[in-house]
Amino acid sequence: MSHTDSRARTAARQRERSAALRARQQAARRRRLAAVAAATTIVVITAALLVTRMITGGQGTAATTGAEPGVIAEVTHVPATVLDAVGAGQGASGPTPITGAPALTTAGKPRIVYLGAEYCPYCAAERWAVVQALSRFGTFSGLGQTRSAAADVYPNTATLSFHGATYSSAYLVFDGYEQQSNQRAGGSYAPLDPVPADVTQLAGTYGQGGIPFVDLGGAAVINGADYSPSLLAGKSQAQIAAALSDASSPIAKAVLGEANRISATLCTLTGGQPGAVCRSAGVQAAAHARG
Amino acid sequence: MRAADPGLAGRRVVLALALLGLALSAYLTAEHYTGSSTLACSASGVVDCLRVTTSPQSVLLGVPVAVWGLLYFAGMTMLAVPPAWRRAGLHRLRIVAAVTGMTFVLYLLYTELFTLDAVCLWCTAVHVVTAALLLAVLLVDPHSGVTATPRPAARQARPG
Repeated sequence: MSHTDSRARTAARQRERSAALRARQQAARRRRLAAVAAATTIVVITAALLVTRMITGGQGTAATTGAEPGVIAEVTHVPATVLDAVGAGQGASGPTPITGAPALTTAGKPRIVYLGAEYCPYCAAERWAVVQALSRFGTFSGLGQTRSAAADVYPNTATLSFHGATYSSAYLVFDGYEQQSNQRAGGSYAPLDPVPADVTQLAGTYGQGGIPFVDLGGAAVINGADYSPSLLAGKSQAQIAAALSDASSPIAKAVLGEANRISATLCTLTGGQPGAVCRSAGVQAAAHARG
Repeated sequence: MRAADPGLAGRRVVLALALLGLALSAYLTAEHYTGSSTLACSASGVVDCLRVTTSPQSVLLGVPVAVWGLLYFAGMTMLAVPPAWRRAGLHRLRIVAAVTGMTFVLYLLYTELFTLDAVCLWCTAVHVVTAALLLAVLLVDPHSGVTATPRPAARQARPG
């Protein structure tokens, strides 16, 4: 091997090493450029979202409107066969009996008191069962359609509203109070129905400090929702109402199970009237489950 | 003597971030299936984890978003373990996955700010890890100190 060949090979190796080094440096530069571009994109998009959010103030909750007739029809006229098939239901705990409380009546009829608010997601869940159960003993008119607050847990839970509604029944009296709307006012929600002192006192005596609070004629109370609002997540009023005609749906099992349990308590207040309701298999099953 | 591997630190960072994301997602998944009853997070004003994790938007295509996160970070962890770096073709998949993850994070941020009006701090931690993971994947040299190492199978196949 000549000295010249050796020098040529050494020079060739140096050129290869230099080329490899340049290639590595170029690759590293490309990687850095890609990372800088990605970081810039992330920062710009995130900043744009935050600034837009600050300017627009986010999305509010839809205001209450009159309930769709189709929704009301489906909630208040659930087929008896479905109610009987559901019985005590699944996922619903029902009213808690209270002892020692004086009977709550108005003009000789058992009085049902509901205290809640439109922003409240637990009220949103419980209302479906309360409306369904009471509809078997009387007739609602003027029910509203609303959603719980977007800025609360279980946001935008679709529901009905008792604000402005009236109830007529041969057996019961119902007084529903939505003390606040779902619309922001200052640091809270706008006031809605004035709550009479006796209702505040009932809630203070038999409630647990929260809403919804329902007093069933002094015989039993509902504190909070007896089933999880998560069951209604992402559903519209129409979808929830439609689910009530399918005894196998989780919504029907919870809502109608709770409604049957409420009806069973109401039947103890009305002396088993109306018989068609109080003797029905669904209400009997709920009464049996209550013990 | 083997030369120092300048890419090793970067690959370790990618693995560490994937494991951190996996741990955070596992926590959020456990919270999702236990009704978020023990979620350690503020619930006042804009910062409200419960409002986010119990929202209808916490489920996508019937699968909780936390589970999507868990699957994503499990996949990224598999792509970041040492044997995976020996397969040069996987780096493109790593980059595509990291970009997809980051795109999803921006969608979730939009949902938190404009649909839910609430921000979940645990979710934000996952978002930050996802962004860091993308940058680490883009910066890492996947070939340094890896392709130069002869594969054991090739060594065995060689006679003598």
